[in-house]
Amino acid sequence: METKYILDENDLPRQWYNIQADLPVPLSPSYNPQTKEPIGPDDLAPIFASEIIRQEVSTERYIDIPSEVRDILTLWRPSPLYRARRLEKLLKTPAKIFYKYEGVSPPGSHKPNTAVAQAYYNMKDGIERIATETGAGQWGSSLAFATKLFDMECKVYMVRGSYDQKPYRKMMMQCWGADCIASPSPDTNAGRAMLEKDPDTSGSLGMAISEAVEDAASHANTNYSLGSVLNHVCLHQSVIGLEAMEQLKMAGEETPDVVIGCAGGGSNYAGLAFPFIREKMAGRMPDCRFIATEPSACPTLTKGLYAYDFGDMSGYTPIMQMYTLGHGFVPPAIHAGGLRYHGMAPLVSLLHHEGLIDSISYHQNEVFAAAVAFCRSEGIIVAPESAHAIKTVMDVAAECTRTGEEKTIVFNCSGHGHFDLSSYEAYFAGALPDYEYPAELIAASLKNLPKIH
Amino acid sequence: MLIGFVVNPVAGMGGAVGLKGTDGAVEEARRRGAVPVAPNRARMLLSLITPGVHTFLTAGGPMGGALLAEAGHPAEVVFVPDRTETTGEDTRRACRAFADRGCDLILFCGGDGTARDVFGVAGDTIPLLGVPSGVKMYSGIFAATPAAAADCVNRLEEAVMTDAEVMDIDEAAYRGGRLAVTLTGIARSPALTGHLPSSKWATDARHEAQAQAEIARFITDIMRRDTLYLIGAGSTTAAVIQALGEEGTLLGIDAVFDGDVIARDLNEEGLLRLLDRHHRVQAVVSPIGAQGFVLGRGTQQFSPAVVDRIGPENFIVIATEAKLSRTPALYLDAGNPEISSRFSDSVQVICGYAMARRMPLIH
Repeated sequence: METKYILDENDLPRQWYNIQADLPVPLSPSYNPQTKEPIGPDDLAPIFASEIIRQEVSTERYIDIPSEVRDILTLWRPSPLYRARRLEKLLKTPAKIFYKYEGVSPPGSHKPNTAVAQAYYNMKDGIERIATETGAGQWGSSLAFATKLFDMECKVYMVRGSYDQKPYRKMMMQCWGADCIASPSPDTNAGRAMLEKDPDTSGSLGMAISEAVEDAASHANTNYSLGSVLNHVCLHQSVIGLEAMEQLKMAGEETPDVVIGCAGGGSNYAGLAFPFIREKMAGRMPDCRFIATEPSACPTLTKGLYAYDFGDMSGYTPIMQMYTLGHGFVPPAIHAGGLRYHGMAPLVSLLHHEGLIDSISYHQNEVFAAAVAFCRSEGIIVAPESAHAIKTVMDVAAECTRTGEEKTIVFNCSGHGHFDLSSYEAYFAGALPDYEYPAELIAASLKNLPKIH
Repeated sequence: MLIGFVVNPVAGMGGAVGLKGTDGAVEEARRRGAVPVAPNRARMLLSLITPGVHTFLTAGGPMGGALLAEAGHPAEVVFVPDRTETTGEDTRRACRAFADRGCDLILFCGGDGTARDVFGVAGDTIPLLGVPSGVKMYSGIFAATPAAAADCVNRLEEAVMTDAEVMDIDEAAYRGGRLAVTLTGIARSPALTGHLPSSKWATDARHEAQAQAEIARFITDIMRRDTLYLIGAGSTTAAVIQALGEEGTLLGIDAVFDGDVIARDLNEEGLLRLLDRHHRVQAVVSPIGAQGFVLGRGTQQFSPAVVDRIGPENFIVIATEAKLSRTPALYLDAGNPEISSRFSDSVQVICGYAMARRMPLIH
C-alpha cells in the first residue's frame, strides 16, 4: 500500500502548459485603466519583464521552462503526491483521496513555482529590484527567496492584518534579504491616502497591490511582480498539475473524478486543475468535476459578478474581465489571508463562466474543523487557505460514503500552516467569527456593486 | 482610571422568593426569607480585580465602601447614605458624587432597576458597566458574569466603547405574568473584543461610530425605491436614518420610503396601517440588551401581528462587531411561538460594508 508517489528529478516538467491555447472561447481583452483602450505590450512594459508580457498573451500550448529556473525548482520539485489513506479511514469513505503537497518548498507553499520564474525573467532584463504585495505572507516570502537567488533586491508590501498577525513571515523575508513593510504604508501615495482615510485599517490585498505597482512605476530599475491572478502566474503553476498527472498514473488512477483546490486569486487551483481541464476539454475525462473552494466572507466565484473590474483598490492595474466583488470591497479579517481578494484570475473566471469549474464557499469554523481532522489523520498542519480545499474534499468524500461511489479525488494542498498557529489557537478558543458576504441583499438591491469609474 | 463603584445591597433579593423584582418589595422579600445577593456578587467581582490598577470612588457601608475595604482595594468614600435601608435615590446620589469627581467609569452591582437609576445620572456621558446581581438583567450594560466584569475592568485600556441599551421593565405587569420591556436609553459601555484575531485587528472595530456609519452606508446603498423600510430601535439603526440625512428616533421605529423618512416613532397601530399600504417591506433591526434580543425586548412595537405581516425573511439584522463580541448568540421572541419558529436557527448580521457574520439565533 503506497502512501506517496515520488517522481525523479529528471521528471520535472520541461515545459509549462498554457491553457490559453485550448480555451473554449478566447479571453476578453484587458483595458488600460487611464486610456480605457485595450492593453498592449507597451502598457505593461514599464513594470513587467518582456518575456512575462509575452507569456501573458501567448496562445502557445507549451512554453519551455528555462534550465536556470528548473535547476532552482529541483530544490523541492517534483513535489510529492500523497494518498490520504488515514483521512479516508477517518471518513470511512470508499473514495480514494490524493493530494499534491506544495508545502515542501523552502517558503512553504506553491508560490515559489512562479516567483523563481518571474525573478529570473526580470534578472534577464537587467532589472535589479522587484516590488510586490503579500496577503498572508506566502507570496512575499516566496519572492524574497527567489530574488535572493538571483541577487536582486525585493520590497514587499504586506497587508497590515497579516503583518501584525504573522511576525514570523516578515522575519523569513528578512532572512532572504527582502524589505517588508506593513500596508498601507507611508512609503507610497496610495498608502498615504489610505492611511489618511482610515489610520487603523487592517489593509487588503487590493490596497497592497496599489502600493507595489506605484513603487515599481516610480523607482528606477524596479519592476512589479504579482503572485496570482495573471495568466503567466497560472502558466508557471501548471507544473503542479503536470506532475500530478504523472503521479496519478503511477498510482494507477489516470482519470480522477474530482479535482479540488482553494481559490483566492486562483493560481494554485489553476496550477493543479488546468492540465486536467485540458484532458476534459479534449474529451478524455468527460466526467471529471472541478471545484474551487472559497471563504464565505469573500466568495468571488460563488457570489460575485462576471464583469470588468480593476485588479487593485486604487485602480492602477488593467481592467480585467473576471469574477469580482468590486475592487472597493475590503474583505473581513478572516484567517485565510491569501483568500481575501475581491477578484479572480481571468482564466479561472472564464472557465467558471463556461461551466467547466464549479465553486463552493465555507465559513471559517467549518474550514478549521476540516484542517484539524486532516492534521490529526495525515499529520500535516495546513495553511488556512489549503484547509478550504480539505473541507470540500471531506464533503465530497462523505457524499461517496452515502452513495458508495469509489470516486478518485485529487486536491492541491498548497502550503503548510506553521505560521498560522495563532489562527488555530483562535479556532480552539471558539473565537473565530463566521463572516459571510451578504450576496442576497446585494443582488436584491438591483445594484451592481462592482463599478468601473 | 477613576472608577465609581456602587452596590445596590438589596438587588436580587426578590428573585429567589418569587417576587420577580425587588423594587418597593424589600420588606416583603425579607419576610419571605430572602438573603442579600448583590454583596456576594460584589465580593466575587472585587476578588478578581487586580489591586492598584485603578482608583476607586465609592459610597459608604453596604453600598461599596465596606466591600472594597474587605477586598483590600483602597477607595475614597464620596457619599454616605443616611439610612441603613438604601433606595434608588441613594444610588442616584452616589452616582452624582462620582460624576462631580469626573469619574471615567461607573461600575455597579444590581439589576435593571439599579441600571435605570445609574443611567439616570450618567446618561451617555459616563461609561457604565453592570455586574449582574438583580432579578432581571435585560440592559445591555451588564457583563455576563462578575468574572467577565472583572476581566473588563482589569483590561480597560483594551476595551472598546459600545452603545448599550438600558431597559425598563414594568414590574407590576411582570408580576402579573406579562413581560413588558421598554427601551429607555442608550448608555456607553466598555466591551472586550479580545477574541478577534489580534489586538491590532480589533482596531477596525475600535471606532463604534465609524463602524455604525459603515453599516449604515451599506444599508442605504442596497435600499430599493419600491420598498418600505421599518428601522429601529437603537443607535445602530438610528445611524441608518442619519445616513439618509435625517435624524432617527433613537428609542423607536421609523419608516423610510424612497429615501425619505415618512413616519417616526411608530407604535403597533401605526406600523399596521403602513403595512396595509405597502407590499414590499423590510425591517432593519439591531440586537438589544445584554442577551442580544433581535425581537421581543425593547421593541414591543414589532408585535406578533406586525412581525407576521413583515415576514421572517424580510428582517435585516445589523450590529457592530464590538457589539456582537458581547453576545455569542442572539435571541428572538416574536411574542408567539408559531411566528418565532418560522425564523431560522441562525441569522446573518450585517456588521460592515458588504460584510456580515452568521450568528446562532435562539428562540
